[in-house]
Amino acid sequence: MSATRVWRLLAKDLRLGPRSPLVLWALVLPVALTLLLKGVFGGLLDPKPRLGFVHQPSYEVTRFDGLDGIEVTRVGTEDELMRLLRDGRLDAGVVVSEEFLRQLQAGEQPRLDLRISGASAGQNRGIIIAGLLGAVRELAGGGPDVEVDVVTIGEAGLPIDVRLLPLVVIMAVAIAGAMVPASSLVEEKERRTLQALFVSPASPAEVFLAKGLLGGLLAMAAGLVTLALNDAFGTQPAATVLGVAIGAVMMAEIGLLLGAWAPDTNTLFAAWKGGALLLLFPVVVFIWPDLPTWIARLGPTYYFLRPIYAVSVEQANLADVWLDLAVGVLICVALVPAVLAAGRWLERRLAEGRMGKPSAKSEAAAPA
Amino acid sequence: MTADDAPDVALRAEAIGYSYGDRVAAEDVTFDIASGEILGFLGPNGAGKSTTMKMLTGQLVPRTGVIDILGMRMPKQREEIQARIGVCFEEKNLYPSLTARENLKFFAQLFGVEGFGADALLERVGLKGRGGERVSGFSKGMQQRLMVGRALVNRPDVLFLDEPTDGLDPVSARAVRAIIKEEAERGAAVLLTTHDMHEADALSDRVAFINDGRILALDSPESLKLRHGRRAVKLRFRNGDAVEEEVVALDAAAGEQLRSLVSRDGLLTIHTEEATLEDVFVEFAGRRLE
Repeated sequence: MSATRVWRLLAKDLRLGPRSPLVLWALVLPVALTLLLKGVFGGLLDPKPRLGFVHQPSYEVTRFDGLDGIEVTRVGTEDELMRLLRDGRLDAGVVVSEEFLRQLQAGEQPRLDLRISGASAGQNRGIIIAGLLGAVRELAGGGPDVEVDVVTIGEAGLPIDVRLLPLVVIMAVAIAGAMVPASSLVEEKERRTLQALFVSPASPAEVFLAKGLLGGLLAMAAGLVTLALNDAFGTQPAATVLGVAIGAVMMAEIGLLLGAWAPDTNTLFAAWKGGALLLLFPVVVFIWPDLPTWIARLGPTYYFLRPIYAVSVEQANLADVWLDLAVGVLICVALVPAVLAAGRWLERRLAEGRMGKPSAKSEAAAPA
Repeated sequence: MTADDAPDVALRAEAIGYSYGDRVAAEDVTFDIASGEILGFLGPNGAGKSTTMKMLTGQLVPRTGVIDILGMRMPKQREEIQARIGVCFEEKNLYPSLTARENLKFFAQLFGVEGFGADALLERVGLKGRGGERVSGFSKGMQQRLMVGRALVNRPDVLFLDEPTDGLDPVSARAVRAIIKEEAERGAAVLLTTHDMHEADALSDRVAFINDGRILALDSPESLKLRHGRRAVKLRFRNGDAVEEEVVALDAAAGEQLRSLVSRDGLLTIHTEEATLEDVFVEFAGRRLE
């Protein structure tokens, strides 16, 4: 195995990449899907947590209006606040009573009733509580801690655009990670350039590694862009990045297996249409949380989607998701011998003339 | 060290064989090629030429037999061997989205060739000034010349050429044949697969006839023609307005028959006729080379 040759092979694919519609699609997909979902289900260009508060006009509480990273709305009455929370149009709300402000100014430990919308994301709740406590302390001139009572309003459950996050992530990672190397392999089969590579010092393992890296890097980029667009890195970005990395590797390996197997582009896309369901189905337990989790655990993609979701939406940390991540790593490791065997199998099939029939496109590439 | 291991033997195949399932594609194929030698590999489609070449270039692992190339064992030392061979495929397999220069440079990089001069090689294969053009715009003939150039990027010690002049116009074909000669003179061992008997005759130091997966004959073209071809004398006579032809096989009885014919009235021309490689192949294989 030569790192230099792998780099040369990867550099060639990177040079050809911008000419491939699939690579461009893989890069555009995260943005397109995020915009689509945010557009359809709300939240477009409105990623900030939303806090509403009711206050007594006789007191100065303007400090609450300028909370960093929080969209603050003044609400006229407590009833209106409750309605907005129940409808999921606010993530949280507080009623700043005269008694609360009096206790605050008297140096006593006041109690703050924080109402949380059942449909709000855990990430948004965390940001709001942190911002609110900071503002209250500032208001009191660094006074005593505030006692916060949290009351959930409305039905518990996350908004649909949040629950669809795993779907957006898997689409982005799978298209880039699996389809890009798969289609690159199939195209080289159709153009018969793989045979030329296989009689050079480049081994099938090196060719596969280069294509896997191409898919893995693109999947990583697509996954991270998706998380960034959805403001979904969570409180422990390292854990979400690790989840995306495991997903990128797993998808690249699956793409290489698919690309080795598919004899031509038509078969590849037909197989993708059917086979993609096997990769996508674990997202059902995120979209419909009442479904039993064991269903999703049957799919390999669950083991990177679950950690990403847990960290970015449920405020979990690495210690909470390490087991799923470990299973994901094990799946990646287990796929390595399969990928290497697929490389040798593909080389033999090509040499025996049982694969790599030219497409009309590649035939047409050579004018008479 | 045995005679087979002598340094000038660049390639040695001994009793190699391969089967696709139950179908035997090559069986007990044995030959060698010396450095600087051109061996023509002749046979009809499906005879086992490509399978043999694929075993030699490391694409297929022989089911039986031994392959030694440049003193190394294939497929055990495949990577080292492949670094020193060049392969020109019959089917065009260049990267159409890359330019001619990029195609050559990419493969030169895979071979680890330092200071590779793409333009000089392009000029050598008749593509001077076309290096910056994408291969997708090349004619089949231009692509074929670039394929030959690609096989030379690493100055190979063993060169495998599968129908290298296929699809070329006569001028380009002559240029490619000249390159093959130059490579052999440089010291490269050349295995040339071709359907063109005249090309094989003109280029090859030796030819191997292969049919049904087996080598039927292996010798120099001259020797094969002399030993197995039918030599004859052709005489043409005027008979009124018509021209008649008599062919006399050069066997034991030829002397008497020739004397008689030469003394006949109306003799116009006398030509000796040598067998062609095609004739010899038909004698061995019982079929023509199609």
